[in-house]
Amino acid sequence: MRTFIKTITLLTFLVFSATHYLAHAQTTEYTIDGMTFGMPEAEVYTEDYDGPAVVGETITMLPNLAPLDYEGNKHHDIRMDILAQEIEVADGVRYRAWTFGGTVPGPVIHVKEGDRITFTMQNRSDEIVDISEPGAETSPYLKQISENPFMNPEGSIMPMPHSMDFHAGTVAKDDKWRTIAPGQTIKFDWVANYPGTYIYHCGTPSVLMHTAMGQHGVVVVSPKDGYPTDDQVDREYVVVQSEYYLTKGPGELYQYDFEAAQARNPSHVVFNGHQTVLHDQPLKANAGERVRLHFSNNGPSGTSSFHVIGGIFDRVWLEGHPFNEMRGMQTVLVGASGSATIDMIVPEEGKYILIDHEFADAEKGATGTLKAGPKK
Amino acid sequence: MTNFIQHITFIVLILATFMAGSEQAFAQENPIQIPGGSFHSILPEVEGEPIEVEDFYMDELAVTNADFLEFLEQNEEWRRSNIPAIYADSGYLKHWKDDLDPGENVKPYQPVTRISWFAANAYCRWAGGRLPTLNEWEYSAQLMDFDSAEEMNEFANELMGWYSAVDVQNTKTVGSTDIENRHGIKDQFGLIMEWVEDFKPPISNEISLDCGTVGRMQKLGNTYSYAASVRYITRMSFNPKMTTGMVGFRCAYDAGKTKQQAEKSL
Ligand SMILES: [Cu+2]
Repeated sequence: MRTFIKTITLLTFLVFSATHYLAHAQTTEYTIDGMTFGMPEAEVYTEDYDGPAVVGETITMLPNLAPLDYEGNKHHDIRMDILAQEIEVADGVRYRAWTFGGTVPGPVIHVKEGDRITFTMQNRSDEIVDISEPGAETSPYLKQISENPFMNPEGSIMPMPHSMDFHAGTVAKDDKWRTIAPGQTIKFDWVANYPGTYIYHCGTPSVLMHTAMGQHGVVVVSPKDGYPTDDQVDREYVVVQSEYYLTKGPGELYQYDFEAAQARNPSHVVFNGHQTVLHDQPLKANAGERVRLHFSNNGPSGTSSFHVIGGIFDRVWLEGHPFNEMRGMQTVLVGASGSATIDMIVPEEGKYILIDHEFADAEKGATGTLKAGPKK
Repeated sequence: MTNFIQHITFIVLILATFMAGSEQAFAQENPIQIPGGSFHSILPEVEGEPIEVEDFYMDELAVTNADFLEFLEQNEEWRRSNIPAIYADSGYLKHWKDDLDPGENVKPYQPVTRISWFAANAYCRWAGGRLPTLNEWEYSAQLMDFDSAEEMNEFANELMGWYSAVDVQNTKTVGSTDIENRHGIKDQFGLIMEWVEDFKPPISNEISLDCGTVGRMQKLGNTYSYAASVRYITRMSFNPKMTTGMVGFRCAYDAGKTKQQAEKSL
């Protein structure tokens, strides 16, 4: 009798999941207001792949943004694998991060409004992957990592299920953003319908834990008609704010502090993933130049009152959409997963501090430097 | 559609696995009896709590590399070079040196990992048992004695830390975590994660792996249930062919089929 009941239970469980598969009907593509919707169904499969973990021409390491040198739209083939990686986030603070592409935040992806992306991602959390080996031919990102291994990333193994949620994409989450097990690969298409700076992160529950463990990054979608000041911009950088909730583990390494994450009490609040990276490697400019910052607050839970000490933001496009223009702002309030594209004219030679004006967070690390040389 | 075909194949495979098991003596000398009782599931779909669990037996320890080697010696078809691709992905026992040689880096008393659900199932059939059901496993895991709510919270916090820092390259030996339930079942936490029979519980997929799932699972309203939710959600994303360095298993046995009775029937 027990066996019978068990078989019934098992069959119920199988039928339930079978219905789930059937529910994924093929969709057809259509357009509204020039935007493309209705992507083909995602593919989930296993592959024997030991190639570069990050592939794509317009993928870079923070704070760089890859130039887009093409007319009209382009179809990008982008690969970004999930890797466990031991990294340094502050002096002497190392932990085994859950990452996209090997760093926290993950690589910056740059595309243009209307571009189509075929995205491939393997969950390689169960194998050692060395990302600091040169791989210039597959993406500028790997070259930049090998030349500047600031976080001292070291391959690690920590098998966990993960997923990808691109805020820049407009698709159904139960298909494209679905969770894949270690060893699996997911492949799907999306179209960058809206211009702006968008976060991406892992959406597997606990989403707080996965994001706090390091699974986030940004996609910059440049507007197809540009911003009004494009021809005056001298330098362009990407700055990402995020929090870590870490506590000392039993050994040398730090690990996730569940209670601190619940209580929104971060151990570190950082720009570009490391407490001092933007001081050790300041952003550079010269007096009189127009600097553009793509600022994103990846959270997971904090807000940011982004300010540059000594500067006033000439233009601010909230979320990076050219229609959302503001002028003369001292501080931009950016909630978790929000962003702003900011133009600032560098007034004179000297040092400008990027800071979260919520000072409790600034003193946990959310500061950086823009170092200006003389006027040229 | 491809998914659907895969799924049908999966159903057939599972039924085949269930029918294939030939009964053996217990692999572990003294499986421990867990008296039946009830516990609170954190699954939001489960109504009419608490969940009743009948008496059953479970291995004191996770199945080790040495145990699994014995199984492979007697069951050629589950060796690395023989196992069909439908029963395990390419990571199956990939940390072993050879089919019947774990090699020097894989210690006999470490829990066996990188085995698929199919293989775990076959092992337990061979050992005269079966995989524990999800409810049995979780029920046993809740039979921990804490002196206070604070102590329980502290334990759950450590558990969350462990989930965020599982060290697959330095897996401890079985029985070494100092964590055991009140009946002496060891290492349900802090060593590896474990396969259970119904690792994808029959719940609606609409919510099973959504951002809201964690919230809906916080019925007990404490850190302990948060740690449990991480466990449920991780399991739900597994598929039966999957092999990872974090997942191993232990076997369970129906009550009324104790070791002595099993030996008699042989
Ligand atoms: Cu994740």
